[in-house]
Amino acid sequence: MKATKAGAFVACLLVGGALIGGASHVHAEEPVLQTEQSDTLTLPPAGPHRVLVQDAVYEHAKDGRIYVVDADKARLMGMVQAAYNANMAGNPAAKAFYVAETAWSHGNRGTKADILATYDSRSLAIVNDEELPGRALVTPKAHNLQISADGKKIFVYDMTPGNAVHIIDANTHKVETSVDIAGCSLIYPWTDANRQSGFSSICGNGGLVNVSLKANAVPTLTHTAPFFSPDIDPVFENSPEAAADGQAWFITYSGLVWPVALGPDSTVGTPFSLQKLAGQKPGSDAKNPFDVAWRPGGWQLAAFHRKTGHLFVLMHRGTFWTHKAHGQEIWEVDVRKPALIRRIPVPAPTSLVGITQDAEPLIFTSDDQGDFFILDAKTGHLRHKMPHLGSSLIYTLSSGE
Amino acid sequence: MSQHKSSTFDRLTERFLRSVAGHVSRRNLLSRLGLTLTASSALPLLPWAKDAEATPLSHQKNGAPTPFGASAQTSDDQRCDYWRYCAIDGNLCSSCGGGVHSCPPGTEPSPTSWIGTCFNPGDKRSYIIAYRDCCGQDSCNQVNCLGTDGDQPSYRPQANNDIIWCFGTSSQVYSCSTAAIVGSAS
Repeated sequence: MKATKAGAFVACLLVGGALIGGASHVHAEEPVLQTEQSDTLTLPPAGPHRVLVQDAVYEHAKDGRIYVVDADKARLMGMVQAAYNANMAGNPAAKAFYVAETAWSHGNRGTKADILATYDSRSLAIVNDEELPGRALVTPKAHNLQISADGKKIFVYDMTPGNAVHIIDANTHKVETSVDIAGCSLIYPWTDANRQSGFSSICGNGGLVNVSLKANAVPTLTHTAPFFSPDIDPVFENSPEAAADGQAWFITYSGLVWPVALGPDSTVGTPFSLQKLAGQKPGSDAKNPFDVAWRPGGWQLAAFHRKTGHLFVLMHRGTFWTHKAHGQEIWEVDVRKPALIRRIPVPAPTSLVGITQDAEPLIFTSDDQGDFFILDAKTGHLRHKMPHLGSSLIYTLSSGE
Repeated sequence: MSQHKSSTFDRLTERFLRSVAGHVSRRNLLSRLGLTLTASSALPLLPWAKDAEATPLSHQKNGAPTPFGASAQTSDDQRCDYWRYCAIDGNLCSSCGGGVHSCPPGTEPSPTSWIGTCFNPGDKRSYIIAYRDCCGQDSCNQVNCLGTDGDQPSYRPQANNDIIWCFGTSSQVYSCSTAAIVGSAS
């Protein structure tokens, strides 16, 4: 036994020596790797296909986050925190973007802080943390945090449970004023033909309140008469809007689209039916809830490409009251005619649809596994899938949106 | 109460609440609490008329006014198709150590709620359900449900299931949702 062990020991020495000799030979030919300094990268200037993707992380919403994605390469570029039913606003191609979030001093208890965080778009460093008078705590809704078309004002919706909008100066980060909008919710910023700016909110009676903002003046409010029935056929909160034009497209649960020119006295146009554009009968409302039809639904259920006037709406087959069901198709509609351009199947049932604003647009969708899909908007074909980018992908915000 | 009377009452209540909301200072805690309590006591009366108004008898199925009610079950309160969950959104407290109207240990029931009207296939009646959130611990994440019968956007907060209904609790961190019967709608 002893002789065998000794032999094995000698063999090991010989083999080990040969290996060390071989390694020394390699080292002689290869340059020695240099020592490194740790650093932090900065994002290159954003192109039209940089997109912010909000992950609400519903299973532990205190850990929400926003991913910065290069949609051409399907690559994660960085991320920032977005705690507890946060909202995001701004433009990833601009100097800064904004996150409204809520945190407690002891995790789930202690002092509550509602914060508007300003992030540098390239370093993703905090530029400013501003404590807010409050913000609505609700499953994130895009129109609870908005920015004016000129980028100078930030609007934060609050519900405590009285309704108000806090107006923040984007330069000073300070709350300039708060406007009570009793009985109304959400923020749809606008700039009208006279370059006057403000925002409108949807009211519980089916109308709008229009808030005009003028420098050094108290905001003035007008009301637009009810144009839809919240009980029978409500409009979606995530209906798309182009602040620079003051044009909103309020989509109802049944599938009507109300064009509204927002302004100091918002003007409501004639609605059209998405289903009728597809040669189908209009979707039923709450009076006939069992009727199965193609219907709009989801969370970020629609996106608007401003230059072409094309509206992209998530549609699914279902009864009334299925307004949060995932979309099975994207219906592309030219709202200027109006006409259905085409129906695009989605890679997987999705609660969100997003669109970039350039001439070679990309469409974004997600699924329940947190996968992120990037489609060519011209062909409708899938370009990339980013597997499990997050867990609860609910919103996208792309350059120029 | 007839549908017409209920609708009138509904409008008056809504007008009153808007009036209160429009004239109180938001920064006044007592006013906020007062409004919250007023809203929580008055709002359960609102959706009854809405539901009856929304679905004429000719469009009901087996007496159920909505597709959810027509396929709901009455025996298992840990499944999403349990009849009371027609408008619930979130984690079932019944699966997290609580019950259908009880909060789990370590959480606190909100004095406010959103409201749904659900059809019970067992007795063919509709009931007003108060969905009270339990607050103070993070999401318990056992059985998560999304009922959307009568769910309206947040500009109709009393019927919106997205709002964190933890007004008036010591912490507004959402854990789970209960579904308490607060009245008959039939």
